[in-house]
Amino acid sequence: MTLPVHEQLRRLADTLRNDVGPAVADEYTRTQAFMSSVILQRLAAQVEHGPRHSSTEAAHTATLHSALAGVLAAAPPDVAQARAEAAAAGTVASLGPLIRALYGWGSDRAEVQQALEAIRPVLRADIDRRMEIAT
Amino acid sequence: MTTDTDLVETLSAYLANRLGADGPVAIEDMERIAVGWSHETWLFDAVWNDGEPRRQGMCLRRDPGNALLREMSDLEEQYRVLTCLASTDVPAPKVFWFEPDPAVLGAPALIMEKVPGECPSPWRRAGREYYAAAAERGVLPESFTDALAAIHTADWQGVGLDFLGVPALGDDFARREIAKWQRLIEESGHPGHPILDDLIGWLDANAPSTDRLTLVHGAYRTGNVLIHDDRVSAVLDWELQVIGDPMYDVAYMLTELNREGTDLLSNVVPRDLFFERYQTTTGIEIDEDRCRYYQLLYAMRSAAFWMSAAGLYADGRNNDLRLARTEWSVTVALERAAQELGY
Repeated sequence: MTLPVHEQLRRLADTLRNDVGPAVADEYTRTQAFMSSVILQRLAAQVEHGPRHSSTEAAHTATLHSALAGVLAAAPPDVAQARAEAAAAGTVASLGPLIRALYGWGSDRAEVQQALEAIRPVLRADIDRRMEIAT
Repeated sequence: MTTDTDLVETLSAYLANRLGADGPVAIEDMERIAVGWSHETWLFDAVWNDGEPRRQGMCLRRDPGNALLREMSDLEEQYRVLTCLASTDVPAPKVFWFEPDPAVLGAPALIMEKVPGECPSPWRRAGREYYAAAAERGVLPESFTDALAAIHTADWQGVGLDFLGVPALGDDFARREIAKWQRLIEESGHPGHPILDDLIGWLDANAPSTDRLTLVHGAYRTGNVLIHDDRVSAVLDWELQVIGDPMYDVAYMLTELNREGTDLLSNVVPRDLFFERYQTTTGIEIDEDRCRYYQLLYAMRSAAFWMSAAGLYADGRNNDLRLARTEWSVTVALERAAQELGY
């Protein structure tokens, strides 16, 4: 029977942590073995949760862009373009240029504050998903 | 890069020349105390004869060219800073030589005195117990505060530290720091995250004004000072120093990030004692609003550090897997930044 990839990675991580690391006398090399184990665990989580995270991300950003279309209806061209590009990409990463454009427009503007208030819960949810993998 | 055996031989020859010894300089009790993240650090005793038998504890730092801060951490700058600090009340190691030629000692290198003292890690249980016990005795909290006060009251212009660059009064200091960490992020090649864009936008829009400039250490905490007989014998890690707002260091004292499950600032100083003693000694009033701003700036700096570390591994410039692991430390730093921004 073939193990799913994330399970295989976890098994490798366990072997490095429990069998390989403790058998290494040199401190630096032993640390490298333990770090390999930690990295494999993170990669296992990424492989396991990646598809679910991606579909959640797509749903969140689609909802966000519907809201932003109204909030930023009167935005200047650079903000409108950044919003359009972010909407087309449909990823959290693509919100970076939009956020920069919003601050460039002026952080004290009501529309900018409204847009940031809409964006931040999406960023929060994204970092929470990433924390599932990182910790 | 030279091997350890090569290093002993080249160091012996280098010191014989520098010290004007009547014969070889013996290198004894050599040990490497830091591995991987920053500059290599070696401690040893040099033993020689120049008509009289001599022994001097020394510390060698070498720049392998792949450290976390990249070219922002410069041994020549550290040499100049330590030279300037020799005539101040700041407890710092006496510096002997800077050797820029990598052919001489295997990499650009700095040699300074080995200061007596210990430097327990505050991230380990033994270290936390050490600092808690020292806090009970009461001497170290005062000495730790006084050493920071000495940094902030040093006559930086008088001793020539203005070579570090002097920001204009107002918000120039904060903007310079933002720009510095943005440069490191760009150099890292890391794709970043929109939380970082939000953080940088917020920092830029809210940069505080300062009307007083001092020497700022940049990472003043337990773990970055040597302690001897419950007193700070030397402030170490002169890699992030700037001329700037003293609240930048005070914010680092106040941050929860430098306390491991204790109310003691930097694991060792009661908050009331710090406020009273620091303000009395320096004449500088602590501005907690500015400190809160700088804590957000530290969130950006942390993200920049981890991005730089992950980038060094990704670029193949450093194969230490601890750097590879920092890819996920970036996530933790960004989560912290989101919290600091209120979401």
